[in-house]
Amino acid sequence: MRIRVLGNLAVLCATVALSYGMQVTKPHYADLTAPIPIDGAMNDTVRARSFAVRLDKVIFARQLKASQFGQEKLLTTSGLWVVATTSLTATGASTAVADGTWQGPTGLRYHQTERLGYRQDMPPHGVDPGLDKRGLFVFEVPSDQIRGARLLIAARQFGPLDAQARISLDALPTGADGQPSDILPEFDLDAAPGQTSQGQTPQGKT
Amino acid sequence: MFKTARSKIQTWITAGAGTIAALFVAGVMGAFGALPAHGPPQLPPDAVIDAGRWRLQPVRAYVSHAGVHGVPLKPGQKALVLEVDMTNRTAQSDKGYFNVFTPDGIVLPDSSPMIVLTRDSTMTPELHPGMTERMAYVWPLAGDNAVPANLAFGVTAEIFKPRDNLHGTPGWYNPYRLGTVTLPVTDLPATGQPAIGQPGSGS
Repeated sequence: MRIRVLGNLAVLCATVALSYGMQVTKPHYADLTAPIPIDGAMNDTVRARSFAVRLDKVIFARQLKASQFGQEKLLTTSGLWVVATTSLTATGASTAVADGTWQGPTGLRYHQTERLGYRQDMPPHGVDPGLDKRGLFVFEVPSDQIRGARLLIAARQFGPLDAQARISLDALPTGADGQPSDILPEFDLDAAPGQTSQGQTPQGKT
Repeated sequence: MFKTARSKIQTWITAGAGTIAALFVAGVMGAFGALPAHGPPQLPPDAVIDAGRWRLQPVRAYVSHAGVHGVPLKPGQKALVLEVDMTNRTAQSDKGYFNVFTPDGIVLPDSSPMIVLTRDSTMTPELHPGMTERMAYVWPLAGDNAVPANLAFGVTAEIFKPRDNLHGTPGWYNPYRLGTVTLPVTDLPATGQPAIGQPGSGS
């Protein structure tokens, strides 16, 4: 009799423990429906579901020059401007690539800047299969969020279960203090793409 | 006879236990509800305010009679402007700052302000984690609207829920009045052009 009671108690305890464990370890709904990352490195072509992306160049600048509605604008920031030049193409059908996020080493997510307004070379990038297109993603990040960062590129900002290219930026040259080794004092978005790096004198880290 | 009476009482108590408990709880809750409600606390104007996803440091408040920070005003309008240093305390870029400040005791033609980054007059940009920016809340007012010399701004904060009740996603919900911050309001006359409205009505 007593053994049977003890046995029942043991079964009850085991059931409670198992149920609690299952409840605690249940994946978050937000994680279950999160975008599916596809990892890659700089200068590699990362193939997501509807597009392929290759990160060609990352430029750091303290100020950004851009013309907006025919007016020159000089944009300042409390951190650094990051201009990521990518080469984009669609895989199956013409589509748009609209979302870029700079993910810092600790997981902080810096969404692409909204201070530039609409521009031809800014997201959303319309892409077509078989045609390479140069597309820029511009971010504003603090200088301690550069080393160990990753660039996340997706077709849409909230794309549950869609692919997200996750490009690690370990190849970026950084100094001992984690700052990028080349920071331009000013970068002109409207200068011709080939001339920008030669036309400006890089300024060492300050 | 006593035996039946006792068992009757026992039956009454057993059957009415739930009702008694409900009456008790309702009474206690009513008593607490009748207590005088606490108003939202006064927040010091020169200290940093932690309001949910934002860290706020009010800088100054003023009435402008001309367009300010690139926000155009209609003829005969003036604008109540609150400049504040805002820091995003969350882990991702966010622009959920539209309801953080509300001026108390002023009739507003439109309760939703225009919010501008003072750096380059960008309207309602996303603010990035840990990057403090000075933002200007601009409420257009009728030109004859009187603004007190010391104006109370209500500060609204939200709470973080790791799982919301509908979708189970993390987010900021349940806005509540965190407190009130009172700032002196100066009156800036329009510079270089005739003042529109009644100069001096602000202070």
